[in-house]
Amino acid sequence: MAALAIEQGARGFGFVRNRVLCALVVAGVAAALGLAFVTVAPNRLVSGTGITLPGLLVGARALLLLPAAWLMLAVLTPPSRAVHASVTVSGALLLAGLVWLAGDEAAAQSAHLASIARVSLGGGFWVLAVLAWLAAADALQRLGLSPAWRALVHAAALLPLAALLGNGAIDQLSLLKEYANRQDVFNAAALRHGQIVAATLLPALLIGVPLGVAAARSERLARPLFAALNVIQTVPSIALFGLLIAPLAWLGDALPGWGIQGIGLLPAVIALVLYALLPIVHSTASGLRQVPAGAIESATGMGLTAAQRFWNVEVPLALPVLLSGLRVTTVQVIGLAVVAALIGAGGFGALVFQGLASSALDLVLLGVLPVVALAIAADAGLELLGCSLESPGR
Amino acid sequence: MIELQAVGKSFGATLAVDELSLTIERGEFVVLIGASGSGKSTTLKMINRLVEHDRGRILFLGQEIRSFKPEQLRRRMGYAIQSIGLFPHWTVARNVAAVPELLGWSTQRIVARVDELLALLGLEPGAYRQRYPSQLSGGQQQRVGVARALAGDPEVLLMDEPFGALDPITRQTLQQELARIHRASGKTIVMVTHDIDEALRLATRIVLLDHGRIVQAGTPAQLLAEPANAFVSDFVGRSDLGLKLLGLQTVAERVRAGENVAGEPVPQTLSLRDALSQFVVRRVDRLPVVDAHGLPAGVIHFADLLQRAP
Amino acid sequence: MSLIPSRRAGLLAVMAALFMVGAAQAQAVRVGSKIDTEGSLLGNLVVQVLEAGGVKTENKLQLGNTKIVRGALVAGEIDLYPEYTGNGAFFHADEKNPAWKSLEAGYQRIKSLDAEKIKLVWLQPAPANNTWAIAIRKDVAGAQKLKSLDDFGRWVTAGGKVKLAASAEFVERPDALPAFQAAYGFKLKQDQLLLLAGGDTAATIKAAAEQTSGVNAAMAYGTDGPVAALGLVILDDTRGVQPVYAPAVVVRAEVLARQPKIAGLLAPLFKTLDTATLQHLNAQIALEGQDAKKVAANYLKARGFIK
Repeated sequence: MAALAIEQGARGFGFVRNRVLCALVVAGVAAALGLAFVTVAPNRLVSGTGITLPGLLVGARALLLLPAAWLMLAVLTPPSRAVHASVTVSGALLLAGLVWLAGDEAAAQSAHLASIARVSLGGGFWVLAVLAWLAAADALQRLGLSPAWRALVHAAALLPLAALLGNGAIDQLSLLKEYANRQDVFNAAALRHGQIVAATLLPALLIGVPLGVAAARSERLARPLFAALNVIQTVPSIALFGLLIAPLAWLGDALPGWGIQGIGLLPAVIALVLYALLPIVHSTASGLRQVPAGAIESATGMGLTAAQRFWNVEVPLALPVLLSGLRVTTVQVIGLAVVAALIGAGGFGALVFQGLASSALDLVLLGVLPVVALAIAADAGLELLGCSLESPGR
Repeated sequence: MIELQAVGKSFGATLAVDELSLTIERGEFVVLIGASGSGKSTTLKMINRLVEHDRGRILFLGQEIRSFKPEQLRRRMGYAIQSIGLFPHWTVARNVAAVPELLGWSTQRIVARVDELLALLGLEPGAYRQRYPSQLSGGQQQRVGVARALAGDPEVLLMDEPFGALDPITRQTLQQELARIHRASGKTIVMVTHDIDEALRLATRIVLLDHGRIVQAGTPAQLLAEPANAFVSDFVGRSDLGLKLLGLQTVAERVRAGENVAGEPVPQTLSLRDALSQFVVRRVDRLPVVDAHGLPAGVIHFADLLQRAP
Repeated sequence: MSLIPSRRAGLLAVMAALFMVGAAQAQAVRVGSKIDTEGSLLGNLVVQVLEAGGVKTENKLQLGNTKIVRGALVAGEIDLYPEYTGNGAFFHADEKNPAWKSLEAGYQRIKSLDAEKIKLVWLQPAPANNTWAIAIRKDVAGAQKLKSLDDFGRWVTAGGKVKLAASAEFVERPDALPAFQAAYGFKLKQDQLLLLAGGDTAATIKAAAEQTSGVNAAMAYGTDGPVAALGLVILDDTRGVQPVYAPAVVVRAEVLARQPKIAGLLAPLFKTLDTATLQHLNAQIALEGQDAKKVAANYLKARGFIK
């Protein structure tokens, strides 16, 4: 008995069995009590008054406390696969519950307010939602499932949110009113954003990978190349867009009919490709450089031609590094494409800047959230791709 | 099989190989040995054109090696290196099959060949075929490396310090395997090492290099008993020269048939050096000897160790 | 055998369609606009009126700020866009000219400057003035009896408690705050100013409405929507310090020559767009969050410009 107590004492708060979850729960309680869960404003321009979570948990809504309570209990429960699985489920349920609660409150408020009044998601909601998601993700990590299974569970956790979106349960939230007011603009922005990303990644790969191969082979080329790419990386994106307007406009005059313009999609894509080159060239070069020298020497010694060696030995062994570079680049481009709206390229950035210009923060959110979601999805997708390409021996 | 005629190579200002002439006959096990920087690796690599010689000529089967395309030449020579260099993303079977695939063999022939070589190198094909290099120990990896080098049935096997990265026990085991394979297949082997004991154990002919030149080339016994100069005798080791000489011969060469003595018998394939060790340990001056079938073959006397070989 | 003719016919149809699309695109009038609320409104009004009148358009609305859109027009990347007459002073470095203070004089001046120098045609402007203004909280205006900038100037010099939210450009540009201060005899000290980044009047108006950091006055534009709804009132520029910024469409001469009915379609529309109407429409977009396209459509339907 004494030995057990000493051991527990030596570990500090011995009754806390899951420190990560404990931190998340403590932060969550603080956010619930201290931050506004939703804010109610008379119109979309002015800031509203906040309502904290405790004020909202009346009646059936108190059921929301159940998954929250289980998360708190799990802090004290000895870890096991069952506990982790239950924490994952609870976290996902809590997240869905928070979204539903916000939507339900928005509906309730809108029933007795003027039609231009707005109910927005407050800081408390965002903090609690992120914490719930983190708790679920952390527990999922501890379950030690394969990446494919993990992806499946993530997707399943998102299903209730999709359902809430689909059946209109959260339509009275300001964020969704902004969406409802401009659905076709949103769809066009989504399509355009995707076009910008695709139109950037393809040329970046086509130009960057060969440059990376050349840089891996020749130190003399590598140094000035990386110096130049580093300089480009430090130029602020808006400045680069602006710098491209004049030369491209001149080029457009010189070669009419080619559709070259100083504003719009082309300069945005050119600038984004320039930014994407550094991570791609770098990861290609370092991927090739980390191919074991022994493998290359024995490949040459056994009689593979340079091309055979490149495609059969170097490329497969360099591919994981290249893919991780592509992951980084894709996320970067998705985010940076937001700025492209400033020179008329469209995309989600158009919504962001319109929102900023009209001081309508929910419109800004309408532009930002899809970008975040897109970046997360692309990252997860490419990670899955990378895992599937790895042979079991590595 | 391979002829180097006054071959020379410089790297910038450094002269790595200087007017080297050497003929390697079919079926020989030639070991190139020397200190670091003696030019032994460079010489080996000039044979399969990993390094191009500056001066002189190198002939393979009577033809100037420059008349072959480098890849074609290399596919006819097995190549095994110290870092082993297996392809980590391929299974053992696919690694071994590399050169046969380059040569365009049929799938059936390749599969059979892979199994044959894995068995030859002491790796049970069923168990090892589908494994990946990262799942093997260093010794097992080099076995696969040697199998891969032999897979295309090359005319000559080139090895550059193949066992240098392995622990002593594994190294010894693999040396014995290689000796066995050489005896059984009669392949021509050219090996580079800096370990004199390895050279003495394996070589039919040792070529000692220093600063890019041949100091002495001869059988192990020749280098031990008739060193050309002090460099050679220093290199092969003055202090335990006698033991090394004893290591070159077996009990079978000194056994007195028809005699009998009590005690744990020793096999007649035992080297005289190990027999000496037995004499000392058991504190006797006579040991019973058995042949390959375990039947008595005679006795070996301590004094016989001092006799000259007939 | 029967496949080949229908395949050829299909190919011809595709080619014809592409050609027509290409031809249509080649003939389509590229309508641009600025990225702000009013730009979006005017742009959508123009697009819908032109389409209803049979002029094919290509939507390039919400392109960017003044510099970008004007640059695009001059470079020939767009064919027309709604601009303000007063901006002509900056396009031609002509700020000192008193003509800009009058709607008609300013319009004539920019019309002649752009036509002779760059071959751009300015169409009939709307009877509205989207110029810089100072708006003040209604309660303060009521309490201190402030109706015009004259009253404001007197009140500030007498030590009135004022804090103005404005952009750096407004505070520094000689024809903005300094011009007001010179004409109306007041001077705002540093601690009476709250500087916000960008020319975002929505932010300044919001600051005054919510009294952020003690702000009770805000930089605004004459046709801003949210002013009245947020409890502010614009002070009259009785001495006419500011140039008149009347919305008008500027179009490339060659495009107008190709499609002369553009002028005829837009003139009656712009005649209806006075300051109050623009404020009302802007409020629907900025305050209620309605999409500019729908607001424009509803307005045009109500006024009978489109079905």
